[in-house]
Amino acid sequence: MAQRSASKPKRQASTTRRPHTHGKSRCLRILRQLSAYIDDELSTNICQEIRQHLGACPNCETFVMSLRQTVSLCRHSPAPTLSTADRALMREKILKTASSR
Amino acid sequence: MDPQSVKNFDTLYKDHADLIYRFAYRLCGEPEAAKDLVQETFLNAYRGFDKFRGDAQISTWLYTIASRACLRMRRKRKGAPERELSLEEFIPTSDGEFRLQIPIDGLSPEAALHNKQLRAALDAAINQLPKKYKTVLVLRDMEGVSAREVGSIMGLNERAVKSRLHRARLFVRRHLSARSLGEPLIDHNHDSRG
Repeated sequence: MAQRSASKPKRQASTTRRPHTHGKSRCLRILRQLSAYIDDELSTNICQEIRQHLGACPNCETFVMSLRQTVSLCRHSPAPTLSTADRALMREKILKTASSR
Repeated sequence: MDPQSVKNFDTLYKDHADLIYRFAYRLCGEPEAAKDLVQETFLNAYRGFDKFRGDAQISTWLYTIASRACLRMRRKRKGAPERELSLEEFIPTSDGEFRLQIPIDGLSPEAALHNKQLRAALDAAINQLPKKYKTVLVLRDMEGVSAREVGSIMGLNERAVKSRLHRARLFVRRHLSARSLGEPLIDHNHDSRG
């Protein structure tokens, strides 16, 4: 599996509130591509365009950080485990059902 | 039963039971339904093993069987029809919505997930996803399956997989955000000096 960018060091959202001076349509265009951006699936040019936008737009910078965190939490969510007893019991049930039909 | 078939089954089961249980648990959200799904999956795999052509990984084949079995089990329960997630519903309409943050206070994801409230919120958000979005998110972001394999498992092209994944992530993000959770999640020890 390819190493994904969500595990890379993340940009911290700016704590200072920069004004949002550009139109929302630019932000919306960026937001549509954010999963592809954090998965490193976009071309260099588009990535650069997005990075420039994020540098100038505190709203989108915060948005992308929270999306990265969401993906990262999903990836690190604890895996449920099957007990040895349950594994053995299920094996018996499967083989019993398979032989009875 | 043919002893060789049982032997083959045992190898398959030994190597993949944990994988499929993990997947099933994440899809079903609770252990008993997950066990039913594992049994259904391996029963179908046992019966169809001679049809497995080996042109996909065994794990991909088992994920495919499990996904289909899950769909059948859901149809039997006759739940509410699945809703579509439109991208528009996740587009922020205010600066506040743009700035929704996940309350993890700079912790690593592993450390943040020690917080039971956050973990419960994550599980709840994933469980509220319509199944077709949930399956993509679980396979891609939790099981680490490639977009191409997810497409093969679900009978979708990669573009559709990525579209569903993006919507699923936006859904979970919104549910996990500080606003959705209410109070900040701070039950861990950390330096709170500003």
